[in-house]
Amino acid sequence: MSVNKYLPYLFVLPEDDANRQLANGFHLNIDKIRQMQVLEVAGGWREVLDLFSSVHITEMERDGNRYMVLLIDFDGKPNRLDKVRTIIPNHLSERVFVLGTLTDPEALRHALRPADLDSYEKIGSALAFDCRDATDATWSHDLLRHNSGEIDRLRLSVWPILFHFV
Amino acid sequence: MIRRLYVNNFRCLENFELPVSGHSSALLIGKNGTGKTTVGVALKILQRIARGTNRVDDLVKAKDFARGRTDVPMRFEIEVELGTKIYEYVIAFELPENFKELRVLEETLKVGGKPVYSRDKAQVHLAKVGQAKEARFLIDWHLVALPIVQEESPKAPLFIFKQWLARMLILRPIPSLILGDSKEETLQPNLQVTDFGAWFSGIIAYAPSAYAKVYDYLKQMMPDLEDIRNPVVGTDARSLEVQFSSDGRSLPIPFGDLSDGEKCFMICALVLAANSAYGPLLCFWDEPDNYLALSEVGHFVLALRKAFESGGQFIATSHNDEAIRRFSEENTLVLSRKSHLEPTLVRPISEIQINGDLISALVRDDFEP
Repeated sequence: MSVNKYLPYLFVLPEDDANRQLANGFHLNIDKIRQMQVLEVAGGWREVLDLFSSVHITEMERDGNRYMVLLIDFDGKPNRLDKVRTIIPNHLSERVFVLGTLTDPEALRHALRPADLDSYEKIGSALAFDCRDATDATWSHDLLRHNSGEIDRLRLSVWPILFHFV
Repeated sequence: MIRRLYVNNFRCLENFELPVSGHSSALLIGKNGTGKTTVGVALKILQRIARGTNRVDDLVKAKDFARGRTDVPMRFEIEVELGTKIYEYVIAFELPENFKELRVLEETLKVGGKPVYSRDKAQVHLAKVGQAKEARFLIDWHLVALPIVQEESPKAPLFIFKQWLARMLILRPIPSLILGDSKEETLQPNLQVTDFGAWFSGIIAYAPSAYAKVYDYLKQMMPDLEDIRNPVVGTDARSLEVQFSSDGRSLPIPFGDLSDGEKCFMICALVLAANSAYGPLLCFWDEPDNYLALSEVGHFVLALRKAFESGGQFIATSHNDEAIRRFSEENTLVLSRKSHLEPTLVRPISEIQINGDLISALVRDDFEP
């Protein structure tokens, strides 16, 4: 079952293996799994940007149904979002989103262990449940709440692609 | 769901325990010859017992002892949680000197820690359960007791366990051998799924609503799918035919003429429908990514993982990077073996130090379990 490109769909480009597993957990718990695809890990946040610039900008221009989430670590630098945005062309900015842990996923997993979210996949699942149920139990965590602006944008354009909302 | 699978002295599995408890899906990875498929073979032996094969020589042979070590029993133990009950089944075989065939050394079925029956060589002891009295009888020690012991009713724990074990889906499909013809119905497909037609007929007869699930899944992958028909051909035989339509035109294709990958979609659809109709089931699929286009693999595996999250258990083996990426560290198990003279070791990938990306580490073989 490859991605259905006749409808809007989402590609997630993860920085590393931990982010890939977060994305896996999210993917397992959306309603329309065929409208999302987790891509190969890029190998670093700068590599995410390189790949986005060298491959995905052209592909997104060619395919108006494609949305992308760049899943990176902020390494304690919330202003990284501004830096990443500089490489996203204006005409694609409505279809590109940047998400990630404020530090790194390992710190998030450590912090969420008491809440029984002791694996990246479980955390990804919890984030998907938040999106589906319009809650922010996990997204509001200290290491994730800096994503709120991007989440607001995703709620409008991407969540309906992935979830069956009544 | 399997809580414990223990195998000893069977081929490369020595003192081997598969850590899948609590996981609705799990992936077995490892180099060729490390024992991934053998785990499925061990499950297949238990499944065959439940499906009625009771002659020990039809199940295991002297060559199956690990490194020919016939002085130690060959042992299979499975503990499963079905509903609210825990079922434990143990069978051990031995090959005494001057015996040509293995015999049963020990066999036990317990439910909730209490024995339903136990056995020491030829002596079987049926425990007192409900209205049934305690009983002892002798059985040929070359026969397994599980298929023989009569259950009181479909509600009896013995029946429930035996049915679950018999209905395990252990799959290694060979699409070119799957033609879609059938003369009967079954809910218990064979390893290569050459009885696909009978399985399709069985599921639809058992739960007609399962057709909608099959159709919905397939329609996502093949938008031009219109219908799957199973008309009678000849006397008491049926032959599956898949109807496609596009732009007002229609094309019927005999099932046997579908591509190998398309047949795998069909099998996947039946697995999902079966788990829903008569599950929860255990599905062990040896390399489910075989025959699939790269763009299909990820979603194929994910659909199976997702379906079994709500009941049952899905265990896959794979060498395919796209399939491997769809699992995570808590549900990926690495099997390894230092040589053909040493047993299989299994470890969760979370316990293994990996530098960088998992797939790259696998390709570099920088992976020391």
